[in-house]
Amino acid sequence: MFTANTTLMLVATFLPVLGALVLLLVPKDQRRVFEIGSLLIMIASLLLSLPFWFGYDRASDAVQWAGAWNWIPALGVKFSVGMDGISLLLWLLTTFIGPIAIACSFSAILERHKEYYIWMLVLQTAMLGVFITQDMFLFYLFWEVMLVPMYFLIAIWGGPQKLYAAIKLFLYTLAGSVLMLVALLAIYFLQHQTTGVYDFSLASFQAMAPVIAQQSKSYQTLMALAFFVGFAIKVPMFPFHTWLPDAHVQAPTAGSVILAAILLKMGTYGFVRFLLPIMPTATKELLPWFIGLSLIGIIYGALVAMIQKDMKKLVAYSSVSHLGLCMLGLFALNPYGIKGGLFQMINHGISTSGLFLAVGIVYERRHTRMIADFGGLSKSMPIFATIFMIMTMSSIGLPLLNGFIGEGVILMGSFQAFPWAAVVATLGIILGAAYMLWMFQRVMFGPITEVNEKMEDLNLREILYFAPLVVAAFWIGLYPGPIMAVMDAPVRKLVEQVTPGFHAAQDLAVKQAIAAKLGMQGMAAPAAHHDAAPAGHEAAPAAPHAEPAHGAPAHGGGHQ
Amino acid sequence: MTGFSQGLLDALLRDTHLILPQLFLMTVATLMLWPGDLMFSRAEKHKWAPITLLVLAITAVLVTRTTEGEGFSRMFRMDGLTRGFQMLCVLGCAGAVALSVRLLDSLKQQTVEYYALILFSLSGMLFLCGASDLISIYFSVELMAICIYILVAYLRDRATSVEAGMKYFLLGAFSSGILVYGISLLYGAAGGTTTNLADLNQALALTPKSSSLLVFSGVLMVLVGMGFKVAAVPFHMWSPDAYEGAPTPITTLMATAPKAAGLAAILRVFGTGFHGVSSDWVLPLSYIAGASMILGNIAAVNQQSMKRLLAYSSIAHVGYMLLGVLSGDPQAGAQAVWLYMAIYIVMNTGAFAVVIYLQGQGEGERIEDFKGLGRKRPVLAFAMMVFLLSLAGIPPLVGFFGKFYLFKLAIEQGYVTLTVLALLTSAVSAYYYLGVVSQMYFREPEGEAIPMGAASVFIVTLACILVLVGTAFGPWLLDWAGKVFLA
Repeated sequence: MFTANTTLMLVATFLPVLGALVLLLVPKDQRRVFEIGSLLIMIASLLLSLPFWFGYDRASDAVQWAGAWNWIPALGVKFSVGMDGISLLLWLLTTFIGPIAIACSFSAILERHKEYYIWMLVLQTAMLGVFITQDMFLFYLFWEVMLVPMYFLIAIWGGPQKLYAAIKLFLYTLAGSVLMLVALLAIYFLQHQTTGVYDFSLASFQAMAPVIAQQSKSYQTLMALAFFVGFAIKVPMFPFHTWLPDAHVQAPTAGSVILAAILLKMGTYGFVRFLLPIMPTATKELLPWFIGLSLIGIIYGALVAMIQKDMKKLVAYSSVSHLGLCMLGLFALNPYGIKGGLFQMINHGISTSGLFLAVGIVYERRHTRMIADFGGLSKSMPIFATIFMIMTMSSIGLPLLNGFIGEGVILMGSFQAFPWAAVVATLGIILGAAYMLWMFQRVMFGPITEVNEKMEDLNLREILYFAPLVVAAFWIGLYPGPIMAVMDAPVRKLVEQVTPGFHAAQDLAVKQAIAAKLGMQGMAAPAAHHDAAPAGHEAAPAAPHAEPAHGAPAHGGGHQ
Repeated sequence: MTGFSQGLLDALLRDTHLILPQLFLMTVATLMLWPGDLMFSRAEKHKWAPITLLVLAITAVLVTRTTEGEGFSRMFRMDGLTRGFQMLCVLGCAGAVALSVRLLDSLKQQTVEYYALILFSLSGMLFLCGASDLISIYFSVELMAICIYILVAYLRDRATSVEAGMKYFLLGAFSSGILVYGISLLYGAAGGTTTNLADLNQALALTPKSSSLLVFSGVLMVLVGMGFKVAAVPFHMWSPDAYEGAPTPITTLMATAPKAAGLAAILRVFGTGFHGVSSDWVLPLSYIAGASMILGNIAAVNQQSMKRLLAYSSIAHVGYMLLGVLSGDPQAGAQAVWLYMAIYIVMNTGAFAVVIYLQGQGEGERIEDFKGLGRKRPVLAFAMMVFLLSLAGIPPLVGFFGKFYLFKLAIEQGYVTLTVLALLTSAVSAYYYLGVVSQMYFREPEGEAIPMGAASVFIVTLACILVLVGTAFGPWLLDWAGKVFLA
């Protein structure tokens, strides 16, 4: 049923919730046990997940470590797990952020420790589960389960408006995901009509793309919109973003970190995994709208961030802007764009976590997050200022740091697809640099007040949980190759699913360009190329019905 | 004895095996009233509760053992659907009886009549589950409802209880009148030949076009009458008041067993009786279903009383279940409704058990009274949270599985708009269910924790476990539902 590697993956995924069950038995006044215990569990889960980074076969685009168990045969529901490069990266990001989120809570959480750490552990398993599942039913299950711990984390340990923020997050996301459920079921029945079997597996849903493309236009549009709204709320894309500032500002630091680093990525992951491969035709149909909303998100998020007086709200709106950039990359639908979008998801996870942690640090010391209350902190907190600067630079995309690579690749991709959109996005990046640096300047430099002078610099624990983020930011910025290599094959497959024949056409174009250079002297040759190039493009849309069908058995085969 | 009455007697005796559980219940209930009442002194009346539970257990066994068939001039039919819903009725009643003990003790209101009335009412429900003739449906409905009217008004020194009973009685009588009138119209439309559902189906198919209005009004009135019984919008007005005023164990009963019986009757009337005759009822019924989901969920948002909240939420749940009735495939529809009802009974009884615990001395059913329960009684609060989230349909709790299966069917049958409505309104429902959760976990407690009765502990624990792990046993649940219907 499950191979040893698959079992190890499941252990790493479910370890946090198992640990939570054990912690449930500990009496609730044992604060240290919960803190250290949950930290150790998270670290164990991280260590268990690391071998997968090395064991991943980068040449293959199949789902690796696949395993399945027939859970509800009557409905075609399988407990089916496995990862490709895209899921692997986000899965590792989640196990990476887990210990950091726990470590930053030691001093921030002052009451109800037992419940807090148990919810954190449950949340961790739910998030890890979303990334390994290869079955739509199971995906929906994990996707929804995630909401409950997050709701409690915000509503118990949040700020003054915590109840409002928590319920808003819950209802917004729930409303989006029930629409997705309807679309899911509709495709499920369409699949039954065409193939005669009930199957919830992701592979069989992706294999439905050509059938969906033949349905009526309104059907396709509705399906795509149902998926789009479900994921766009989670990302969040403009105009579905209003829950995010509330949730971020009210959530405890660890909640914000997880929200920014992982939860928002669920939405973008949903686009990559479901909307694009299952409904490529409808996506392309609606693409101008999607691109438009991404651009509005980039600019609007940046402008709103600029006027914020609260540091946490500023970082929250910067997320809207950055995620808009990710979406722009994904919707470019070419390898550069998608890779850049995925890459930027990882980067955003690292840099925004760092920024939220930094805001958490000053909040713990001063109990305020208003930019106006600070100034000159670089004098009293030099280590903190350095780390904060690295995270700021990583967020605005300074070369040598991770953000630069992501933004650069996204712009390359989107410029190929929509040059004007890339121009607008660049404006957003410039604005991003402006508001981040302006905040940094107001908080770190200038005259220092008496209260701020007494602020203590980072202690060892705080340095230790910032260290992995700083290392990761530099490592990715200096040597992005390995991460790019992991997503190479899956992105290639995805682009092929979205635009069958894309790579063939591209290779042809490249060959022609070379041939054109070599054969400049013969006038006949270039003329022939001009005919061939459009022909290749024409062939691309006509092919979709055949191509994925070929892909499907191989895909399903990797599954069993 | 003349030959005619001899033949009648033979016929009756020949068919008695179909209604053994009902006969058993009626006999026991009658004996309980006299001479049984003399067995225990006034102070010992609470001993009737375990005896009633035993009777219910025996009834459950009898229900599973009763042979299949049709009898009493085809007035009653024992088949998979009957048996399945009968089991749910017994389950609902057992939950209510177990929850009654402590409350009635504390109110010093233990009487044998209370338990006997529940048993009489149950026998009405069991008849209703299998009634295959409009006349027998009417009789069973009345037997079931009249006992419940009395039970609602049981706390006779309390104005709210009496008022609730009166309201319920008046509206119930009114709706019965409409039901009977509808039956008479259909009888007329079918040429005055039959009220049997299967025959009616054929007879109505042959009616001339000119009488289609007659058929339509008849069907509509039956729909209205049945809608009253299961409290579907716009015939729900009695339900929040009756739920609030009735003793809480009776509220539990009303939310579970009679609804199961009523839905069984609706499934049979619309599945067998009017299936394919005229699809005129599909549109009104889908409006009723949609309105129930919308109004039930929206009205629940602003409630201060937990019982009223659960009343409105049960209206919404009936709306969901009517989706199953709308299904063009009666068998699959009945199966989905049955599964949903079974799950609903478990989580609802669990939630009511917690409410009853909090009531203590008969007061304290406001949502505010849940304040700080997470601190005072962490395990109980956790169980309540599980029930509420399951009612809201949050996976992986079993309430999600029930909804999923029901909505899957609805989409398969093409009711996409209604399903979207159902899902969006269930997102609204998360708001008020979470409102209670937030009272339990995010507010500081007041007062001391009260100890809990053994029966309630048992029910809460059992229901909580079922709700928590139910989904994992999805395949077995489906198997089970299938077996019940095929047996």
